[in-house]
Amino acid sequence: MTVTTADQIEAEAAPQVSTRLANKRSFSIGRSLAWVVMIIMLIITLFPLWWALRTGLSSNGALFDGNQSLGPADFTTLNFERVLGQATEAEILEATGRSNSGSFDFVQSLKVSFIVSTVITIGQVLFSAMAAYAFARLTFKGRDKLFFLFLSGLMIPPIFILIPNLILMRELDWFNSYQGLIAPFFFMTPFAVFFLRQFFLGISKEVEEAALLDGAGNFRTFFGIIVPMSAAPIATISILTFVTAWNEYLWPLTVGRDPDRQPLTVALGNFTAQQPGTSPDWSGLMSATLLAALPILLIFFVFGRKVVDSIGFSGIK
Amino acid sequence: MKQTIMKALALVFALALFAVACGSDSDGDAVDSAVDTSTDAGDGNEDAMDDDDAMDEGAMDEDAMDDEGAMADGEAVTIEYWLWDGNQQPVYEQCAANFTAENPNINVNITQFGWGDYWDGVTAGFASGSGPDVFTDHLARYPEFVSSGVLTPLNDLIERDGVDTTQYFPGLAELWVDGEGNRYGLPKDFDTIALVANADLLSDAGVSVDDLSDLDWNPDDGGSFGAMVQQLTIDANGVRGNEDGFDSENVAVHGLGLEGAFGAFGQTTFSSLAASTGFQMLDVNPFGDSANYDDPNLAATIQWYADWIDAGYIVAIEDVESLGGTTVFQNGSAAMMMDGSWKIGTYIGPENPFPVEFAPVPVGPSGQRASMFNGLADSINAASENQEEAWQWVKYLGSPACQDVMGEAAVVFPAIPSAAETAIATRADAGVDVSAFTTHVDDGTTFLFAITDSASQIEAIAGPAMQEILRGQATAAERLAQVDQEVDALLGR
Amino acid sequence: MTDIGIDRTDGLAPDIRVKRKKELRGGWSTAIWFLLPAMFGFGVFILYPALRGAYLSFTDWNLIANEGEWIGLDNYERLFGSDWNNVKHSLWVTFRYTMINIVSQTIFAILLAVMMDRLTKSVFVRGVLLVPWLIPNVIVALLWVWMLDANLGVVNEFIGWFGIDPVRFFTDTDKVIPTIAGINTWRHMGYTALLIFAGLQTIPKGLYEAGALDGATEGQMFRNITMPLLRPILALVLVITVVGSLQVFDTVQVATGGFGNRPGGPVNASRVIYLYIYENALLFNDLGYAAAISILLVAILLLVTFAQLRLLRAGESDLA
Repeated sequence: MTVTTADQIEAEAAPQVSTRLANKRSFSIGRSLAWVVMIIMLIITLFPLWWALRTGLSSNGALFDGNQSLGPADFTTLNFERVLGQATEAEILEATGRSNSGSFDFVQSLKVSFIVSTVITIGQVLFSAMAAYAFARLTFKGRDKLFFLFLSGLMIPPIFILIPNLILMRELDWFNSYQGLIAPFFFMTPFAVFFLRQFFLGISKEVEEAALLDGAGNFRTFFGIIVPMSAAPIATISILTFVTAWNEYLWPLTVGRDPDRQPLTVALGNFTAQQPGTSPDWSGLMSATLLAALPILLIFFVFGRKVVDSIGFSGIK
Repeated sequence: MKQTIMKALALVFALALFAVACGSDSDGDAVDSAVDTSTDAGDGNEDAMDDDDAMDEGAMDEDAMDDEGAMADGEAVTIEYWLWDGNQQPVYEQCAANFTAENPNINVNITQFGWGDYWDGVTAGFASGSGPDVFTDHLARYPEFVSSGVLTPLNDLIERDGVDTTQYFPGLAELWVDGEGNRYGLPKDFDTIALVANADLLSDAGVSVDDLSDLDWNPDDGGSFGAMVQQLTIDANGVRGNEDGFDSENVAVHGLGLEGAFGAFGQTTFSSLAASTGFQMLDVNPFGDSANYDDPNLAATIQWYADWIDAGYIVAIEDVESLGGTTVFQNGSAAMMMDGSWKIGTYIGPENPFPVEFAPVPVGPSGQRASMFNGLADSINAASENQEEAWQWVKYLGSPACQDVMGEAAVVFPAIPSAAETAIATRADAGVDVSAFTTHVDDGTTFLFAITDSASQIEAIAGPAMQEILRGQATAAERLAQVDQEVDALLGR
Repeated sequence: MTDIGIDRTDGLAPDIRVKRKKELRGGWSTAIWFLLPAMFGFGVFILYPALRGAYLSFTDWNLIANEGEWIGLDNYERLFGSDWNNVKHSLWVTFRYTMINIVSQTIFAILLAVMMDRLTKSVFVRGVLLVPWLIPNVIVALLWVWMLDANLGVVNEFIGWFGIDPVRFFTDTDKVIPTIAGINTWRHMGYTALLIFAGLQTIPKGLYEAGALDGATEGQMFRNITMPLLRPILALVLVITVVGSLQVFDTVQVATGGFGNRPGGPVNASRVIYLYIYENALLFNDLGYAAAISILLVAILLLVTFAQLRLLRAGESDLA
């Protein structure tokens, strides 16, 4: 890949001006079309979220009445207050007729979600990256078979993972504890290993080999060269792992039954139907969902920038 | 560069370990803190036991958690109690507080799961040995627990403590006795079925609640009930179902709504009408081993529903299978609907957009009304290490002391008649007449919830069949005959 | 532990250099340090339960009672014999769902990823597209059930403006599976697009510049530069999405059963294989049979994945 200077480009471009202009015209029609599509997709993506917000700001009674206005039906902030524990029992009773709606500790659940997700992310990304490196770059007997074995972990229905792991938690007495919530996810998931291995495969071998010849050992090569070069995939998998851990539902439900140890996803269960045949508490559910998604959104927007910035580095060619 | 990364990783690692270590301090293991108890006298009289601080059970569960962790003296015991109805939780918290006041060595920690998660939690709990000590049981599920041997039979304890099993409404206690005479729960509430109607639509049609209460039905022409349904049906042009020019393709308001998919037993849908023909689901109930799906009366009933859906008088089943029939009713698309007494709160609550009237279900060809009679009870986990304390709690729940509290709250009808009177009175004070539900108890027109093994499998066989019939994809007679064969094969297996 | 290489290879003879390189790269003595934590986690939390599941499939295990006896191949006989109709039906439903889901999700994801790469670098756009994936599956399903309802849903209100009759998205036997596929696509297309986008970053920009200079259009560059070099990532995406689709569960359970109904309806039109396994395990209390069906599912997944990886030559990359 030769390095072209600006002058060279201009020089080569001169005879092709007419073609370039022609391309530019079709280019902008194409681009406009692409923008239209993009905007439609953005609307499709955002509208349900707007609808969730609108529902959260409505009162259930008006919703059941079939109100379809674009804005909230019978505007009220009570639902958000309920979720955040700011509404009194009397207010809740008067508005919904329910006495136990939303009596969960939002802040505590938020804290639990945050701690659990962070720890899981750190462990999982670190250990999976190490394993992925081994699969991508090191040679050892049975490497591909072991990789395929790891991959097959993706295909085990979680029901079977659940029961033996629950028994293990009971034996370790880790119910209702942070360790219990974290343990199964802390070391690796097949997906993380798979993901990083594919990216490590795509990294040019020359840089590593240069380092190795210079006498660097494998760990130094890994942490010193591969990891920085893989900042983008690693950042990506970190975000993915964090969000997946944040949204984990079945495991925390069975392991963390104390309100003190319930992450947000489980705590949100308070707003779903309590009895057979009744509707969920729609406005409460939607408010709670949005509030629960907010931290994630913030984290994403903060770290999302870093992903963009680190993408400038595309390796040496 | 790599130095900084190493340092960052190390720091982050340290933070993680710190977070884990700190987070797992005190509250960690309160669940399995089933401290051994010196099994003292059973009636919970005041022994010189450890005095747990006044458990403010009415408040958040967090307080409960902290207190449990601090019982190191080995005398006090915590019972884990699970339930699903969040609306009833405050009532049980109150009962628990009263109970602990009388039995200071026993605390009750109440955990609530939503209905959707409840049975998964219970099953997973049993499977992993981490189940509750006591839990709210349901007739559809409990045969499975019985046959798996995970429930504690209560017969000896009842005899020992002299619990009066006749203090409940007739029939309720027998629901919890298996084929061999073992008893697994003490009834705590009951529910029945009645009609709920949109009061605004009624007055628009000039119909009073008394008119509604005096109807009869038969599967051939629907009887006066059917006529009422037609009258209350309005098409998109404002033409009523009993007038000329009624357009069955464009109906705005259906005379009769459906609470949801029919399922195998149709508690809130077809059970009342079917039973009013004299139909019986099982040969023997409870624990029968032969179902009567091929009974012509059942076929006639289901076919009536299917035909009237087609004619536009009854809500289409497709419209109630997703969000449920209550939503359709509250939306004003159905004038009246059959539903269970546990939903009273929903219909009279602030979220219901209009006032409602309750009326009893119509009288059928047998000359009587019929309502399924269901009731919950609490069962004890056979693997619980605190059998005696668990029993004390169950006994308390089934006693007038707790049921009176339930009655005052009036969220459901308690199983003890005196407490039920309280509930009815509470409702009446609020201006709600629930006699439509209680009439069945008074007149003896109840029939028991069908209790049988393999209820879930029967559901899997009969449920889809009902859906097909109501969509007009099969006739009731044919399809139900098939169901009957499959179910007999299943039960006889 | 060959961490800090004390022995430098500069001044060594070439063949010794090669040998030294091999020593550093090769063998279990090196690899084990990288693999140990992952292997531990895998062994304890995934492999052991899986093996136990395999064992269970030869028993009549009662989940609640936590006991059971060896019954040999009985479960498998039932699977391929008396119960085959049910199993076949579930496999077919799952297959149909997977096909629809894969096609729509991959197409949209690639489209979005390319647009994120070539059209606009806006972080805002990227963020917005990812937001659906940040919401738990269960909530997404509930939200869409609410929006797509035949009576109360806003979507039907909207299409009513165009004079179209309300569509019964969840209660029409033909429509329920495509609807659920649509919901899943909505939720995942941003996420999948992000994966592909990350892959697109590994393609050197210089290639596109050279292509543009040579007069290639966007479409041509996409076909000849992007797609081939994206292969490892595409392989990842396809394997993950196929495996995930074949295992779909949460969405179906909540969307068809979230309100007290029996999930998998109507008339079992959305009874995907995983739902059938769940029914057998937790509702019918027949864990052994559920395990047998799971083994079948695992076998299918392994085959499909293996085929995909082979076909896509996912172990290589045109870049390196």
